[in-house]
Amino acid sequence: MSQTAAVAAPDDGTQAPPVVIARSLSKVYGVDDSAVRALDGVSVEFARGHYTAIMGPSGSGKSTLMHCLAGLDTASSGTVHLGRTDITRLNDRQLTQLRRDRIGFIFQSFNLLPMLTAEQNILLPAQIAKRKVDRERFERLIDVVGLRDRLDHLPSKLSGGQQQRVAVARALLGAPEVVYADEPTGNLDSRSGAGVLSFLRDSARDMGQTIVMVTHDPMAASYADRVIFLRDGQLVDEVHAPTAETVSDRLLKLES
Amino acid sequence: MLRTTLAGLRMHKARLVTTALAIALGVMFVTGTQVFGDTLEEGYSTKVLGAADEYAAVAIPAWDEGAPADPEAPAPVLPADTLEQVRDLPEVAAAGGMTRGDAPLLDKDGRAVGSVPTIGMSVGPDTRFQPAEGSLPEGSGEVALATTSADATGYGVGDIVTVLDSEDERHEFTVSGLIDFGVDRELSYRGVVAFDEDTTREMTGAEGYSEIDARAAEGVTDAEVVRAVEGVTGSDTHVETGDAYGDRLAAAAGGDTQVLTVGLMLFALISVFVAAIVIYNTFAILVAQRQREMALLRCVGSARGQVFLSVLTEALVVGLVASAVGVAVGVGTGWAGFAFGGEALGADASQPLVVGVLPVVVGMTVGTVMALGAALLPAWRATRVPPLAALRTSATAQGLEKGIGWVRITVGAVLFLISGGIVFAATDGDRTGPTGMVLTTVAGLVCFVGVVVLSPLLVRAVVAAVSPAMRRIGVASMLAADNSRRSPKRAATAMIALTVGATLITGYAVVSASLKTTMDERLAEQFPADYRISASLDDPDAVVPQSAVDALEESDAIGTVVERRRTSTESDDASGDLAVRSYIGATLGEDIKSDAVSGSLTDMGPGKVAVSEEYAGGREAGDVLPLATEDGEQEYEIAAVLKDGGGMGGVTLAPQDFEKAFPDVDGAAGVLVDGAEDASAQQVRDAVYDAVADAPKVGVSSMAEMRAQFDDMLNIAFLAIAAMLGLAIIIAVFGIANTMALSVLERTRESAMLRALGLTRGQLRRMLSIEAVVLCLIGAGVGILLGIVFGWAAGTTALESMVFTLPVAQIAVFIGVAVAAGLLASVLPGRKAAGASITGALASE
Repeated sequence: MSQTAAVAAPDDGTQAPPVVIARSLSKVYGVDDSAVRALDGVSVEFARGHYTAIMGPSGSGKSTLMHCLAGLDTASSGTVHLGRTDITRLNDRQLTQLRRDRIGFIFQSFNLLPMLTAEQNILLPAQIAKRKVDRERFERLIDVVGLRDRLDHLPSKLSGGQQQRVAVARALLGAPEVVYADEPTGNLDSRSGAGVLSFLRDSARDMGQTIVMVTHDPMAASYADRVIFLRDGQLVDEVHAPTAETVSDRLLKLES
Repeated sequence: MLRTTLAGLRMHKARLVTTALAIALGVMFVTGTQVFGDTLEEGYSTKVLGAADEYAAVAIPAWDEGAPADPEAPAPVLPADTLEQVRDLPEVAAAGGMTRGDAPLLDKDGRAVGSVPTIGMSVGPDTRFQPAEGSLPEGSGEVALATTSADATGYGVGDIVTVLDSEDERHEFTVSGLIDFGVDRELSYRGVVAFDEDTTREMTGAEGYSEIDARAAEGVTDAEVVRAVEGVTGSDTHVETGDAYGDRLAAAAGGDTQVLTVGLMLFALISVFVAAIVIYNTFAILVAQRQREMALLRCVGSARGQVFLSVLTEALVVGLVASAVGVAVGVGTGWAGFAFGGEALGADASQPLVVGVLPVVVGMTVGTVMALGAALLPAWRATRVPPLAALRTSATAQGLEKGIGWVRITVGAVLFLISGGIVFAATDGDRTGPTGMVLTTVAGLVCFVGVVVLSPLLVRAVVAAVSPAMRRIGVASMLAADNSRRSPKRAATAMIALTVGATLITGYAVVSASLKTTMDERLAEQFPADYRISASLDDPDAVVPQSAVDALEESDAIGTVVERRRTSTESDDASGDLAVRSYIGATLGEDIKSDAVSGSLTDMGPGKVAVSEEYAGGREAGDVLPLATEDGEQEYEIAAVLKDGGGMGGVTLAPQDFEKAFPDVDGAAGVLVDGAEDASAQQVRDAVYDAVADAPKVGVSSMAEMRAQFDDMLNIAFLAIAAMLGLAIIIAVFGIANTMALSVLERTRESAMLRALGLTRGQLRRMLSIEAVVLCLIGAGVGILLGIVFGWAAGTTALESMVFTLPVAQIAVFIGVAVAAGLLASVLPGRKAAGASITGALASE
């Protein structure tokens, strides 16, 4: 959780120690004939301070992978480590505590509680965890995401981009070991999306925040340090320092 | 379209289960009440008919319908030779006569049972009555008791009982059997000791017959027998067929059944009303949630009317199914009610269940119409959904309902003002009695409409007031506070259902508690002693024997003994007899109190009188009151003019004056006894009972026992009413559970997000529990407030000089029940919310 350790060069993933390690991860839905292998023996590592995008065609298992990595869903076999914790061995209570204290989340929509103000939404995880809020970090975050004059607004009074920025601030406030983002710009226009994405990239670079993002948008993926590709539940490709073009090319190749 | 509706119903079964339950419970109450009433009525009839219809004719002394019964006149009888004449008639095969008189039965303490002597009655070989247990009495040593007398005394078959004859001599009898007179009110109330005819005449000194029953000879119709009997009995006798006689008695008992049924029906209507609120809310929420579905139907070409009909069809199907269940359960409830309560109400418990067509039809109709009626507004709203709504990303309302609603506030405030004005008018001044009661009821209804109008604002305001405190407690209660404010209209409707029950039950509790305090105070005023010994009621000139008074005065366990002497004279100032009394051994104003209009009881002394307002003729303390006495007209100075309605109506004289004015009155009509300070309650009781042991007909009543009896009565009434309203409250809790469940459904994604952020299952459940408890507490709180106000108003108008009492303990219980109801209502929704998989909920919409 400390940020002092997270100043590794973003481009050199091999030197930074991995925060999240998945080994031979499989997820099977249903039984026998109707069984579907959503994940089929995925092994992958996410280094500290790295911004990684998971891509793949629809049904490739990218969301399932993220859910298993985050402890939202249980894998059928294989292990996931967060730091030294094997999260596949945790019970529901321990998983809840893990999510609360060590993981941040950004979803595509329905991110915010409609009856809480922007500030209340940002502070919610800290309140759930009964954690003391790092006021300095809070102030810095809301300045960076540009929400200072919107803090006492209800979500219904914020634009889509503002709402997602509130969600990002909420995810980052507790300085979690890893932030999972599920299509964070899926509902946004390209300008608002770009704002959110560059902010995510900056927080990885400047604050050493580890980020794992699921997306189907090559443009969004190009903000990441690394892109991994899934097809039929298997890890099939990987690109470092991606651009929108390289990602699109790989995707097209995968789908053909 | 119908197929779509039915498919929708099948899919949303779970959502409608609680709605169906609410309907079913209401219908159950309606049908159950009717089945119970019908069975009870039939139970009464078979009981009477079973006894009376074997007789062709029943002859009883004619009675004058219009004239008030004179309790002191001897009951008219049929002459003794009438029976022989009837027996000699060729149309009559056999005839039996019934003799009646007084035969006081003594209880195990040796006291005469009840304040009116037990009826002594003959049950000969041709009697209408058959023993419920044991056999009919034979010979001079046996007696049969009415079951009510047996219950009151604890005697059973084979016990030895003591009965007084007309000379107050004691006679012992063996109880041969018990007879159930259930349907005849006088017989059940006074109790009966039944002997054979000779013993009855010996014991009661009764002459003639109070009833002659004749059986028809072969081939003779009942009507012919009646005519023949009428021929020998003359005009002062009423002769009718056994069937007609039975029907008449059953109808009289049936009147009671009707009162009971109407009372139960009132409570049933309350349940139905509450159920209607619950159904309305459910359909309103369902329509709101299915906005997109409705819009899609419109998109693919459904007309508005079709959407409207589809919602109504849904209500119709739910209403029909739930009503059918309700009717079935209602029949069972009616049966259970009769099985457990029928016997106590004096009906024949072996009566098979009577299920008429009417209760079934009424139950089905009430349930279905209620469901349809409640769905009308939501259905209309569904037609307002534009087809475009199908294309919107979020179909469900996520934000807060906005707007203060000035219209609401104005309308609500005006209604409150009107209601307050009516209450003021009803409780101010002399408008007590029926008018005041009606006004209070109207005010209550107006006020309730006001609460309904204001309730969304009320919910929001109350939650806003408590939310700062709730925020501080923890994240679960913080979220609950915010959730409660999200859809105040929905919350308010759910809450109102509970408010109805809470208002009624609190109102009744307030009336009951106030009644109790008032009665206790009146009792203490009219009954200023531990024990009251009174001469037997059946003889106005009876006195408490001097030996008993002497024994009391000598006893160590007895502190003070006050003799109350009484007579009556004529008054110029009011019609009717003027009661004149005097208390020997009492300090007026201390031992005996009564509220004075002018002067004071403590000023009483020789030459002075206290007089109640009615007989004062406008005089005040210090004036002179003339009084006709045995010693000629005397004049006394008025020491106090007393309020009417107290224990000292008429004129009260000082003992010396009374003795001089009415020298013939030499015994006490009543004696008030206080125990000595160092004597235990049991010692005082023993001393009192020992003193009057030789005078069994002298009545002994104890303040403590009377108070206990009165309290028992009030408590039983309260419990019965609470049980009836309990059903309405259960329905309301279903409604709250339903609202919670639908909210949870609506917030599936939100709950999943909270869980992802680290809210534990426990915290999520707690959040919903607190939400439900807050809702229940607001609903119950509003109800309790309304109940207190209108309980007070109703009590004040119903009972003059009512002492308002707040039933604090009961209200605390109601609040406890509200909390429990909230917890209960949130169990299933909480379980569902906490059990949902996070990823599944996040993926679905």
